[in-house]
Parts: sequence; C-alpha cells; structure tokens
Amino acid sequence: MESFVYIVHSDVSEKKLNKLLPAKTDYNIQIETGEVVQGVVLDTFDNAALAQSLLLLGLEGRLVLMNLKTGEFLEQEVAGEWRFAKDLSAGLVKELLSGLADLRAFLPVAKVTFHRDRGALLDDEGKTRARYSSLVVHHKKSITCLGSATSLRGYQSGYEELVSLLQNAGAKELTDVFAFYRQLGIKRELYTNKPVLTLDATAPASETAAVIIRAFIQIARRNESGIVADHDTEFLHDYRVSFRKVRSVLSLFKGVYEPEKTSELKADFALIMQSTNRLRDLDVYLMEKENYYKMVPDPSVAGLELLFEYLAKERKKELKKVVKDLQSEEYAARVAALTSLFKSSDKIPTGPKGALPSKLLAAHLVLKRYNQACKIACSIERTTPDSVVHDLRISCKKLRYLMEFFTPLFDEESIKKLIKTLKNLQDNLGKFNDYSVQQAFLRHILDHDLGQFKGNEIQISEAVGALTAMLFRLQKKERNQVMNNFSRFNSEETGLLFKQLFEIAEVE
Amino acid sequence: MKIIACYSNKGGVGKTATSVNLAYACARSGKRTLLCDLDPQGASGFYFRIKPSRKLKDRAFFKDVERFVDSIRASDYDNLDLVPANMTFKDFDIFLSRMKNSRSRLKKALKAVDSDYDVIILDCPPNISLLSENVFKTADKIVVPVIPTTLSSRTLEQLYSFFKDNGYQTKKLLPFFSMVQLSKKLHKESMHILRKKYKGLLKPYIPFSSEVERMGVHRAPVITYANKKSIGDAYAEMWKDIEIKTKIA
Repeated sequence: MESFVYIVHSDVSEKKLNKLLPAKTDYNIQIETGEVVQGVVLDTFDNAALAQSLLLLGLEGRLVLMNLKTGEFLEQEVAGEWRFAKDLSAGLVKELLSGLADLRAFLPVAKVTFHRDRGALLDDEGKTRARYSSLVVHHKKSITCLGSATSLRGYQSGYEELVSLLQNAGAKELTDVFAFYRQLGIKRELYTNKPVLTLDATAPASETAAVIIRAFIQIARRNESGIVADHDTEFLHDYRVSFRKVRSVLSLFKGVYEPEKTSELKADFALIMQSTNRLRDLDVYLMEKENYYKMVPDPSVAGLELLFEYLAKERKKELKKVVKDLQSEEYAARVAALTSLFKSSDKIPTGPKGALPSKLLAAHLVLKRYNQACKIACSIERTTPDSVVHDLRISCKKLRYLMEFFTPLFDEESIKKLIKTLKNLQDNLGKFNDYSVQQAFLRHILDHDLGQFKGNEIQISEAVGALTAMLFRLQKKERNQVMNNFSRFNSEETGLLFKQLFEIAEVE
Repeated sequence: MKIIACYSNKGGVGKTATSVNLAYACARSGKRTLLCDLDPQGASGFYFRIKPSRKLKDRAFFKDVERFVDSIRASDYDNLDLVPANMTFKDFDIFLSRMKNSRSRLKKALKAVDSDYDVIILDCPPNISLLSENVFKTADKIVVPVIPTTLSSRTLEQLYSFFKDNGYQTKKLLPFFSMVQLSKKLHKESMHILRKKYKGLLKPYIPFSSEVERMGVHRAPVITYANKKSIGDAYAEMWKDIEIKTKIA
C-alpha cells in the first residue's frame, strides 16, 4: 500500500476537490467531516515524538496520534492524568510512545482545535478507489492540515488521481515535520543536550574553550524552568551534565586560561551544581525503585516501602530548596555574570597555552587522555583497589567528553566510531560507580538518618542490609567485566585509529 | 493461510450471499481476507461494486499466476480484498488445465498470495469440473449451503458419494442450512432428518431473509446495512464456528 503524507495550509473542502476534477470524469470525492474538538499538542521538552515523526494530540479522555511517516492515525482512550508513556494503559498509542523517551514527561505545546476528516475517491458505481484522512488543526488565527492519501490494492490509477487532485488543491509532500508548528505560528525551539558546535581548527584554544563553555551554559540554563516546574528528572540531569562539561573544559584545557582564573571559575561552577547534588541522588534512587523491589527478598519489602516513603519526602524538601535557590537573586546574578564572561573570549585572561591552535591542542589532549586510560587499565588486576577502577572511569569519561567536544575538528565518522567503541566500557564503569554510590548512600542513611524511622529501625536496617548485599554483588559483577570490556575497547584497530586521527593532527 | 471454499452442486441456494457475508465476517474479525469469485456467473464483485478489469484481458502476455495476483482488488472494507470473476476467470478451467498436474494447480496459484492473507474464501461455480475438483483438493474446508428440502438433501447425498468415490476427504465438507424458514413444516422436518444423517452439519443456520435479497440493491454485505441484527449475527456466528472447525488462529 502506497501513501502520500502531505501538508496543506487550508481546509480542503469536498466542494473544492470536486471542482478540481476534470469535466468528464467517472470519479467524485466524498468527505466525512469529523467533529470539531478542543485539544492540545503534546510532546516532550526535547521533541521526542515529533523528531520520530509522531504528532500527538490530547483531548478529553483520548489521545490521537498521527504517524507522519506512514500517514497512519492511532487512537487510545486515557483515564485520568498522565505524564509519562508508562502511565498510559495498554494501547496502540502507548505502544508507539514507549521507548521514545521513557524518562521524559509529555507536556502541552499548544492549545488547538481540530477535526479529523475521512475522504474517498469514488467511481461511478460508488466504489472507493482511494482514500485519504486528514487532520485540520487551528491555533489562534492560523490553520494547517496534515493528511495522507493511501492506495487500495488494484486501484493504482485512482490513487494517482487523488494525489494529483490534492496537489492541485495545494497539498505538498510533508518533508519537514516542524513545518506544522511554523505554519500554526507555534514557537518551538529545538533542544538537544548534544549540540553540534562550529569550531575553527586554527582559532586560539582560548576561543574554542569559550565557544564550548558558552554552548553548555546555554543548554544548562534552558533546563532551569523545567527543574522549577518539576516536569521530569531529565531537566536536572541535563542541567548538571552541561555544567559538568563546562567544568571539564576548564580542567582539561589546563593552561589555556590563567591558572588563578581557572581555579576561580571551577569553584564558581562547582558551587552552582552543589546545591543540586542531593536532589539528583534522590532522583536516581526513586527511579530505581522498581528494580530495588525486585532485588530484595519478600520480608524486606515492608522496610523498603518505609525507606522509599522517606526518600520521596526528602525529595520534596530537597526540590523546594533547589527551586528557591534557582529563583534567588543571588543565583541569577552569579549565572548572569558567568554567562556574560564567556560571551566573548577576550574577557578572560589567557594562560600559556591560550594561543595554541585549537586542533593541535585538541589532538594532544585526546591522545594524552587515551594513553592515560590505557595505562590505568593495564595496571588493573583482580586485587587492585576499587579506587583505581574509579580512576579509570573518570579518565574514560574525560576522554569521551574531549572527543565529543572536538568532533567537528576531526573526521566525524572516525571519531564517532571511537566514541561508540568506548560506550560499552563506559556503561560498564558507570554501573560499577552507580552501585558503589548507592551503597554509600544507604550507609549514610543507616549512620545518620535512622532516627527518622522511630519504631521501624529494625525493618529499615533489614531492608538496607538486603539491598546493600545485592548492590555489592552487582558491583562485583560489573567490576569483573571491566578488564574484558577494556580489552574489547582497546583493540589494535582502535589504537591505530587513535594514532591516525590524533598524531597526524600534531604533525600538521 | 487457510482456504475455505463455498460450494454447492445445486444453484440458487444462497451460495454467493454466503461467500460475501462470510468473507465480510472473517475480515471484521481481523483476518486478512481474500474472496475469490471463481463463478463466471457469480456476483461477488457486483456486491462489492468492483468492476471486472478490462485491462486484464488485454494483458495476455502476462504469466497466468501473475495475472491472478494482478486482478486482486481492495474492497471498501478493512482487511477484505477480492478477485472478481472477470473475463479471465471464465476460462479458469483452461487456465488450470494449462498448468502441469492439473489437480493441484489452484494451490500453486493461491500460493502466490500466501503471505498477504490469513484466509482465502473461494466462491465456486455450481458444477463438477476440473476447477471444482481443484477446489476439493486444495481447500481446507468446504462450506455447503443446503436448503432444508427433499431435493437439496438428495444433492448433498450426491456430493458425499462423489467425494467418497473419488477419494476426497468427506471431513472437509461443512454443510449448513441456508434460507431456513422455520414456519415451514417441510423445512423443520428436513432439518431434523438431515441432522441425524449428517453429523458434520454446522449448528448455526442462516434464516431466510428479505434483507439478504436486498443485497443487490445495497451492493454491500448484509451486515453493513441490515436493520434486523439477527441476519448479520447469523453470519457472524456461523463464521465463528467455521473458524473453530478450520483451526484458524
């Protein structure tokens, strides 16, 4: 079955289409107009649905989803409030939304009114030769219509007739899904936590550092309102990762800025992040809730429930603090000052390496970090302390950041290949670290917060004990895989690629 | 893919109405359905407003199987396609005889659309020919409409004997009562006698209905327009029973 997915900036009526038919024709168009309803366009902050060509509309008790690739319409009933795909009951829409952005909340983008029409091209005996379905959407004074014509088996010419008819009525093949927003005058900025930067290979390193830092400050700041509104945990996560990247640039580009200024800036950014540390820890904990329930034996579940009740309450308190902090004048002033500082590169005193050509410095930094990671990895044996594995994790993370920052300066395909080979090892090390942090977090509760659970101390201790034992076992499992994953990452081919990409740059 | 034939060696028993309405019930239950009108005088295509394709006749250079696939037309209903009885199929017997191993040729032709459909329903002409023998061999089940009268019971007897004499599996036969008028004493009595004789007779039956007669006016399956729910329900219920007996998942 063929389909033609189109956009047209008007409501194409039955009358109009019939008028466009040739004078002597056996065909006629019939449209069944749907009821006009009020609804809202929904998507995640990072446009996860539309990026996958899915347009989601919410209305009273129902969701309508149009697949803009296939032209297919799906509907599902909704009972009550929902924010995440997992909150929906089983259904066709849920099926498509699941896995798109499981941690992201679906938020209203714009209020609209719309109707769904079903049309058909009929022959002189009333037989349907081709069909189309359209969604006519109004927003304020604008209108647009998304539709799709589909062929029926054995009736190719009828389909072609219908497509050309729609085209004569102004329909254009939908090639850019965001045209929908533009046409309706809905302002929707694109968001990504992994921006593609424009870097100049020969520009002084201090300038490139400013470009990268500027970009990540901007990304971090775009998440502020989402954190305050507490839509989902990804806002805080992206906020923190972006500021962490800023700090990484400052410490990795050692000597690019004046040492004293660098330390001062590092302290400033650390301070900004500090107040959100505990909230992120609690988020991670609460996200893992279901997994934890699966991990512990039944007798510990009651204790776990008490523990999670406590953590949820703590999160509420912690969120209040973070919100207050983000809305404070002090925060605004501090972030504004940092933002303006990086607006241009000449405001910051440079260090001895500040004038180095960016590509040269980049190549040098990547190679150095790669060699360092290899050195640490080679020293790891069964008896090596965990702290060394942590060092390897940090080294790999920095290597990854460097490669990501500098992707535009090197052959994109090769560098992406290297990042990909690093991913398995990083996932492995990341889990190793998570399990370790989680154990420490639990220990902290036992050591400091047991007083909060008056009368239930034994239940809590039991649950924490059971959970810690499981986390310890999982951590050990991850640790045992580190060496394997490293040797898989550091194949001869990978080593060669690193040298090819980054040693050559040094010669240049 | 399951193949279900609708066959009667006697005309005027509601065979085409049965094919059309069962195919519709099948499609409505979510199965991808192809209704093949093998009866040159058949009207399945007419009931779905599908015109026989003139173009196909002119494309004689096409291979036969390809021609068969090309003649498939979508109906106006989801999951339901049709092969109308067009000029080409008047010569279906010739088509089949041109292929080697004439008795399994139909299967070969249907194999070409195997992955496109869950169920194929064959509306067969009311005679015994090379085509119908292909059908007996190929079909998983053969539904046989029987009007509960003395004459119809004799035809059914003939069909069973033909199957036995020619080595076809009689368990494929699924006779059912068609155009039943319970107000008629003859119908009631015949049903009683025949049910005793033929254990394979389907329990559900199709009552006589003026709504079915009006299919030619509406040019649509009776379930889509009938005011009285009962006739539509009868076909749906019969389809359910056939589904179970044919082991259609």
